Amino acid sequence: MASRITRLLKTIFLVEILRGLTLTFRHLFVRSITRQYPHERPDVAKRFRGVMSLLRYQDGGEKCVGCGLCEVACPSNVIKVVSAEREGTPLKRYAREYWFDLSRCVFCGFCVEACPVDALAMTPNYEYATTNKRDLLLSKETMLALGDQYFPNQPPKPAYIGSCESEMYLLSAKQQHYPTKSDDQG
Amino acid sequence: MPDLMSVVTTLAMIVVVFGAVLLHVAYLTYFERKVLGHMQDRLGPMEVGYHGLLQPIADGLKLFFKEDIIPTGANKIIFTVAPIISLVPALIAFAVIPFSDRGPIADINIAILYILALSSIGAYGILLGGWASNSKYSLLGGLRSAAQVISYELALGMSLVGVLLLSGSLSLAAIAQGQAGGFWHWYAFAFPAPQFVAFVIYLLSAIAETNRLPFDLPEAESELVAGFFTEYSGMRFAFFFLAEYANMILVSCVGAILFLGGWQAPFDFLPSTGWWGVFWFLPKVYFLLFLFFWIRATLPRLRYDQLMRLGWKIMIPLALANILITSFLAFVTR
Repeated sequence: MASRITRLLKTIFLVEILRGLTLTFRHLFVRSITRQYPHERPDVAKRFRGVMSLLRYQDGGEKCVGCGLCEVACPSNVIKVVSAEREGTPLKRYAREYWFDLSRCVFCGFCVEACPVDALAMTPNYEYATTNKRDLLLSKETMLALGDQYFPNQPPKPAYIGSCESEMYLLSAKQQHYPTKSDDQG
Repeated sequence: MPDLMSVVTTLAMIVVVFGAVLLHVAYLTYFERKVLGHMQDRLGPMEVGYHGLLQPIADGLKLFFKEDIIPTGANKIIFTVAPIISLVPALIAFAVIPFSDRGPIADINIAILYILALSSIGAYGILLGGWASNSKYSLLGGLRSAAQVISYELALGMSLVGVLLLSGSLSLAAIAQGQAGGFWHWYAFAFPAPQFVAFVIYLLSAIAETNRLPFDLPEAESELVAGFFTEYSGMRFAFFFLAEYANMILVSCVGAILFLGGWQAPFDFLPSTGWWGVFWFLPKVYFLLFLFFWIRATLPRLRYDQLMRLGWKIMIPLALANILITSFLAFVTR
């Protein structure tokens, strides 16, 4: 009975509405959380996943070996790699063409994880909006330029590719004697 | 035959009041956006000018230069006239508002009737605009507006009767004059019959009359796109917009005069003559306008049957009871 009377009084004196009004009034003095974007930019996280880029070694050679693992790893079919042999050195391959469709990319970073030579990297750039959809199809050259822009100080080429150690390894592998059919008969 | 001097002063007053009202309308939109923004922990307009101070001017220019579209199926004449029918009554009602003890532009002795009549004519603009657009959303918005205005005008008019009983006049200047001598003489708190219940009913009905949230059923975005002005754009849209905000200022002025003493100072030792009157009058109006935005930021929109139930089953009986009690007390203490 008493609770019904208090409820009636609360209804008559609009208590709940007044409580709502005090809440909104208090928020009038709460510091607003708006960030004035073009004037004041957010601090991007260190491992922010933005536009994809291709990296070079210190001497300017491309890191990408054209293996196409990124193409396989990509869940939304963004990457297209056309692999080719390097002139004169049949064992070394590179990406003759590398297409990256930013309009479909979900920025999962699987391609970066899949790359065996760490040739891919995600830049902190998130301002790639454009009025022309074709600008979002990145070619190898654009991506290399992005890599030069955002990751300029890259380490030299590691010793295991094309170095004398690797040549010696290849030589020893060729000299090694594998059992063949004729060996069995003989 | 009035002499030339009085004609010139009257014209000058019209120009000043008109300019002030339009300027207030423009900056009311800015004020609303700022208040709403900060109540929602946002900033509101910040880009045009210092803290967005030129935003109303930019908006006005944009609306002025927009393409003027009349839909193919629309009734061209009524479609064109409707925004004007809506705007003109809202603006000419300010002729009877006394901003200080010098009185209004036209001190007529039926000022309240005049304002009520004009606010009803303004509803015609909404209704006709909704019908002439030849769009289902506009039509429904217009119909809702008509029903809502009829329901709430009753409560609005009856909430004023108590004040009229106490003051014994329909002239706004005389009513404000009757509340001299401190805030305990304002009719919202005055002996013998404080009209605060009537004040609350007046405020709620005024919000409903001006189609503001939480009673903005005629233009409920989630149901009717934009209600009666779905098909309007450019200057015609701006007219409806101006009319809505001018009406808000108007009902705030009327509320301040009838219930909060108009230009009277809150204590009788403070001066309330001349410009002091404007100085005391404007904060009351601004407070009521702030209340509009405050309520908008707090309450969600009512459902249509809730709106009608509130109007007919609660507000009108309360207003009638208020008339009875007030007239009884006024008779006893006379």
